[in-house]
Amino acid sequence: MKFWKPGTGRAIETIGAWMLGGVWLLPVLFAFWSAFHPAQFSTSFELFAPLTMDNFVRAWSYAPFPRYLLNTFVLVTLILAAQFVLCTLAAYGFARFEFYGKNVVFALVLLQLMIMPEVLLVENYRTISILGLLDTIPAIGLPYMASAFGIFLLRQSFKTIPKELVEAAQVEGVSAVGILWKVYVPLARSTYIAYGLVSVSYHWNNFLWPLVITSSVNSRPLTVGLAIFGAPESGVDWSIITAATVMTMAPLLVAFILFQRQFVQSFMHSGIK
Amino acid sequence: MSTITLKDACKSWGSTQALTNINFKCENGKLLVLLGPSGCGKSTTLRLIAGLDTPTSGIVEIGGRDVSNLPPVKRNISMVFQNYALFPHLSVEENILFGLKARKVPKNEQKKRLENAADLLGLSNLLDRKPAQLSGGQRQRVALGRSIVAQVSVCLMDEPLSNLDAKLRQEMRQEIRALQQRLKMTMIYVTHDQVEAMTIADRIILMKDGVIEQHGTPEDLYNRPATAFTGSFIGNPPMNILTPDIEFMEEFSSMLPPGSTPSYLVGIRPENIVISKKSGLKSSVLAIEYLGADSLLQCQSGEQAITVTVKGKTEISKGDHLKLNWESKHIHLFDGKNGKRIIDSARGVTP
Repeated sequence: MKFWKPGTGRAIETIGAWMLGGVWLLPVLFAFWSAFHPAQFSTSFELFAPLTMDNFVRAWSYAPFPRYLLNTFVLVTLILAAQFVLCTLAAYGFARFEFYGKNVVFALVLLQLMIMPEVLLVENYRTISILGLLDTIPAIGLPYMASAFGIFLLRQSFKTIPKELVEAAQVEGVSAVGILWKVYVPLARSTYIAYGLVSVSYHWNNFLWPLVITSSVNSRPLTVGLAIFGAPESGVDWSIITAATVMTMAPLLVAFILFQRQFVQSFMHSGIK
Repeated sequence: MSTITLKDACKSWGSTQALTNINFKCENGKLLVLLGPSGCGKSTTLRLIAGLDTPTSGIVEIGGRDVSNLPPVKRNISMVFQNYALFPHLSVEENILFGLKARKVPKNEQKKRLENAADLLGLSNLLDRKPAQLSGGQRQRVALGRSIVAQVSVCLMDEPLSNLDAKLRQEMRQEIRALQQRLKMTMIYVTHDQVEAMTIADRIILMKDGVIEQHGTPEDLYNRPATAFTGSFIGNPPMNILTPDIEFMEEFSSMLPPGSTPSYLVGIRPENIVISKKSGLKSSVLAIEYLGADSLLQCQSGEQAITVTVKGKTEISKGDHLKLNWESKHIHLFDGKNGKRIIDSARGVTP
């Protein structure tokens, strides 16, 4: 008798996937459980424990969350806008034009992909300090704006656009900038969506660099605010911490659930998978 | 006036010579076909005229004006691409008007031209569709529409029908020809399909390896091929090009010019070969292709393959031995070394 019946492999894969999913989901479930129940139930499970919104109200009033939320929102928007502009222009250059040293420059861009931003923490701090931008929102975003990942992704996407479309536009007298705007950008839409979602979620969750570079409520994003809020020195109240966490991740979670299908599709389209 | 003239145009990429001394003139309002096998330089020639490439040396003139170094938009041309080059994110209407918008043509003028073109091409009820929702023929029409609304007198076509199926191709080529004559466009049309070329062209330029093999009317190319290559490229099935061997000379030496014959190539069209009971080139039938109105016999004589066309369904079967004969007025003589045609007057007498 054969041990590997057809379908056995598939069953193991499915079980594995469910287990992984469960492990990932548990902390989120705990956060939701604890956030919506009184403190005494935060570490004990009782199905019919009373629900409450009290934790949210308290968390909201204990720390300037509205301000943090605004900071994060401004930060994410700023980075995304700058990345779109810079990466589009750079990718267009690499995809369409021939210039001396193109391959060397592109190799340098790719090199950036291999360097963890954390390695540059001190150097970046010094640069920002010289620029006089310490403790501002642009300071948090600046190191990430010329994203090598974005340039690479858009370049790949631009390269798949048929040359004939570009030539058709050329024959009609569209300028180089016009071709970028009317041909390349609309045809790379799915890549923009995919990259935008990755960028937003990355910077929404980014922690170390914002922690280092910010020192006041005026520039602190949600993640840093949350960390300070939940620091052991201020006493650990799981209910309030989880309520704050839920508030932090809620916008992103909702957005992801809403755009889940497009998100997955656009990654399929842009060939990353 | 929009006569197109190329003077000694050459194009090379590094050490590869793509085009060598291309000279021709396409008269105003005529349809000129650039024909040739893939890699012969026909598309490159078209791109030189369009301005998508610039010649390494030589001159491109449109309407008497030297445009060699002008960008495409300044040349007053429209172009239809092989894969239609429709923008997938734009509707049919937006695709057709793309160029007019780029050129900032007034809105009401745009509307008028769009209606005109849509009527002409039968696209009126498809204007809101995206290219992905159209069939191949419809996409082709949209591409034509884009070139019509430009209202320029020169239209360049780069293998516009190669993605369509055979039936549609036949319909579309008639449509293109009718449009060209109706709008009195000067059209340069690139194709590798000799049937397409023969059916729509006023004049054909046959190219090979970056040089012009022959420039003439379809009849010229068929009746008086300038080279053995032209003979073997034009016609369906193409001309048989034979190297006279001993057996051949026994039968047909009288058809060749008298005296010491250096080396000849003899061209004979399949439809001009008759199967004779008495005398002729001995050959055996390798295969028979039945086409309906005709049958093609693939024969072998010595080392050489010969195609023969016979009417209708034939009694002959595979393996039969035949004697192939023809009249001397049907043979074409080419120089064995360079393949050039040898003047008719040098020919001998009928056997």
